[in-house]
Amino acid sequence: MIFTFVVIFIICFCLVRLLPISQAAGPGKDPENFYLRMVALGRMQVDKTSATGYSEVPVIQQFWSFIKNLFAPATYIDSDGVTQTLSRWGYSYSESKAMPPDELLWERVPPTILLNVYSMIVSVPIGIGLGIFMALQKNKWPDHVLSVVVMLVISVPSFIYAFLLQYLFCYVFNWPYSTIANGTNWLSPEMFVSMILPILSMSFGSIAGYARYTRAELTEVLTSDFMLLARTKGLSRAQATVRHAFRNSLVPIFPMLLGEILGLLSGSMIIEKIFAVPGVGALYLTSILMRDYDLFQFLSMFYISIGLVGGLIVDISYGIVDPRIRMGGGKQ
Amino acid sequence: MKKLFTNIKNFFKKLFKKEVNTEVVQSTHPVRKQYELNDIPQELFSLAHQDESIHDTKFETKPVSFIKDAMHRFAKNKASVVAAILIAIISLFAIIEPIVDPKNKVQSSLGFQDTYYSEVLPSLGDATRGSGFWDGSKKVEVRQDQYDFMRFTDAKRPIISKFIKKEHIVVDSKFVHLREEYDLYTVRQDSYAMVGCQNINAQTQEQIDAIKQYEIEKGVTILKPIVDVEGYINRFASENGLSVTSTIVNNLKLIYNNRPYNYAYYEIVPKKNDNGDFISGTAQVVIDENDNCVPIYLQDSNGDLVYQKDDGNGTYTIRVDYYEYFTYMHGFEPAYIFGATGNGQDICLKLAKGIRFSLMLGIGISLINFIIGLVYGAISGYYGGVADLIMERVTDIISTIPTIIIMTVCSIQFTNNVSLKASIGATGVLILSFLVAFVYNGWVGVASTTRMQFYRFKGQEYVLASRTLGAKDGRLIFKHILPNAAGTLVTSCVLMVPSVIFSESSLSFLGIVDFTFSGISSVGALLDEGQKYLSSAPHMVLFPAIVISILMISFNLLGNGLRDAFNTSLRGSED
Repeated sequence: MIFTFVVIFIICFCLVRLLPISQAAGPGKDPENFYLRMVALGRMQVDKTSATGYSEVPVIQQFWSFIKNLFAPATYIDSDGVTQTLSRWGYSYSESKAMPPDELLWERVPPTILLNVYSMIVSVPIGIGLGIFMALQKNKWPDHVLSVVVMLVISVPSFIYAFLLQYLFCYVFNWPYSTIANGTNWLSPEMFVSMILPILSMSFGSIAGYARYTRAELTEVLTSDFMLLARTKGLSRAQATVRHAFRNSLVPIFPMLLGEILGLLSGSMIIEKIFAVPGVGALYLTSILMRDYDLFQFLSMFYISIGLVGGLIVDISYGIVDPRIRMGGGKQ
Repeated sequence: MKKLFTNIKNFFKKLFKKEVNTEVVQSTHPVRKQYELNDIPQELFSLAHQDESIHDTKFETKPVSFIKDAMHRFAKNKASVVAAILIAIISLFAIIEPIVDPKNKVQSSLGFQDTYYSEVLPSLGDATRGSGFWDGSKKVEVRQDQYDFMRFTDAKRPIISKFIKKEHIVVDSKFVHLREEYDLYTVRQDSYAMVGCQNINAQTQEQIDAIKQYEIEKGVTILKPIVDVEGYINRFASENGLSVTSTIVNNLKLIYNNRPYNYAYYEIVPKKNDNGDFISGTAQVVIDENDNCVPIYLQDSNGDLVYQKDDGNGTYTIRVDYYEYFTYMHGFEPAYIFGATGNGQDICLKLAKGIRFSLMLGIGISLINFIIGLVYGAISGYYGGVADLIMERVTDIISTIPTIIIMTVCSIQFTNNVSLKASIGATGVLILSFLVAFVYNGWVGVASTTRMQFYRFKGQEYVLASRTLGAKDGRLIFKHILPNAAGTLVTSCVLMVPSVIFSESSLSFLGIVDFTFSGISSVGALLDEGQKYLSSAPHMVLFPAIVISILMISFNLLGNGLRDAFNTSLRGSED
């Protein structure tokens, strides 16, 4: 996994550094300090022949300076003559002043996490509950109806729900929060109320997803032989279902949930755009639209590492949840 | 050798006949009478199959091929059939609409656009006018002053397409000393008629003559008298002792210049407060004693109305009934079936083009991914071992880098590449970046499915048998293993189409791909544009949202149906 991460990092680094520097997100606001930092970071060199007086150094050289700076941040003297320590990850210029991308990220994490946690609290119990209900009612009319609904809900993209909710609530029923409330008091009741619409629009899809998955797993377990044995032993249907079938059906579901917990850090760009949530997804989108490359690179690696670690957690937790599954095949 | 064969054949024949004979004795017992086994009369025995040879008879039923069997099972799944029909209808719409629609033939760099008709509501044209259903009007509740604005227009089409009711409302609050009485009008407001009459600049005398000619031919009125706003404003200022540059006068001027009242041809004054002073920025129509408005047409020295005003450089400004002028200019009436965007583009046309683009992109990319994934997965699955290990690591790395990063990098790189842009154009650059971004890791899914299928089938006996008979790797892969995996692979290919469409619309919705300066449109870009007008013009989001939802649902249903259809283990399970 570390090998994969390193290779991906090198690929991303080269791809992003090869992009042309955008004037708006680059030297535009404070050219003097911008070039001072770029030289100190080892990304540009003084070049009298170019129009700006500076030219970019080759990407391989930039990579080496980046690695050096990552482990031992250098210092530089800014235009006011004050000695400053360089940021490890470069600078984001799309905000008013040059900000290290990691600081910017931690600022934006709370609303994203909150939104995802709320959404998970809503969707996991409802989704799994629905799935169990559908599995127990298998091939009866409630199951058929719910299956159709789940199919429809899964297929429709989440931004359609967002539009629907926003229009219905805000412009028809005059709900006051068409976007998220202002301020940074993330735990205030007002903030929670204003988060209801994004939470709902994020939850629909996941509820349907969990329901379908749980139903598939549980129906498979319910027809297995040990269930018959459990009933023969004298357990009631409810006992057999809860103690044997449900617990076994959780084997693939639980790792999936664990994987999602890490995913809480990564925000949905679409939902955060529609509801103007100042979260990680919105920051990522800004970095793309403003061509803020350092921020873009940092956030990309953030998202990629979340995906990788999430996958690893899922793999490991399979072994923890179900002792029959062993990774790597030890000598047994 | 041949002899041996005949011997064996004879042996089997004997064996078979014997069996048949015993069966006849035991099962068909034509006589009810009980016989001892030994004294069954000779006449009860007859030779079975005496006249026919029983081997190698032709099937009486028609053989069912794999595809036929799959189609049979597919046709039984009603939901999938409906989904297929829906997809066909939407595709037909996307193909035929741009061909049929006259708006598509209007010569313009970025396609048909008319900013006067921005945000107009869906209308089916003359067929539904005034009916209140799909006629480009919306129900509004207005008070007297607003109602006056809607009452008067010198264009042919009335702004109020339907008068619903007038109520007298009395608000009497006991808690706050407030008593209010007003009339509330409920009417349907025609969004097309709101455009009213507009000034058109820089018209040559020939153009004006052509319009006049057209007026006589068709018996319509396009040219309207010029309105003298400047003169009226000056008169208003001097009558009320106000400076021409004062806020009140300036705001009044703004009202005449901006929507929605720039079609006004009558006197407008600011409202007055209780002290008799004007309230800046407000407006009401001046009503004379006959309950009419007071027109402010420009008059020449003889007191006649002026129809064209000299701009100074040989061209004229004319004032036209815009609805008729539009019809004159383009040859068709302005009727936007799905309404118009904020730029006055036709949503129906843009939607059709967007779906066409999405479908073409989805199908094209799915095919490319399918082929790449198939070859890659086949190699890694068939050969296994070290090759598989290395290839798996490569797919690991490729699939972990999100499409969004590649898309961003590609669109920035390609857009900045001047020579590339010059050779394939802005549209080409856009399509190329989509292609690279989606092909880049789209095939990974197909590859892993193919690999799994190969692992499943390559160890089976029939493959071993074929290999023993000397079949080469290529033959084993393409003739023996691949056909078995075809069902799963086709399904994964069909299911890839909606996922590509979804990613494409998400990316364009987010604005990561900029469609503004390319000739193509996308459903996602339409949604992005419509979101800004969600409160005032929900139809802009409604139609694209409906279409993309139907498309996604249908493709998923179709994919599920195909999966079941190609799953041979389900054969006969529901008959």
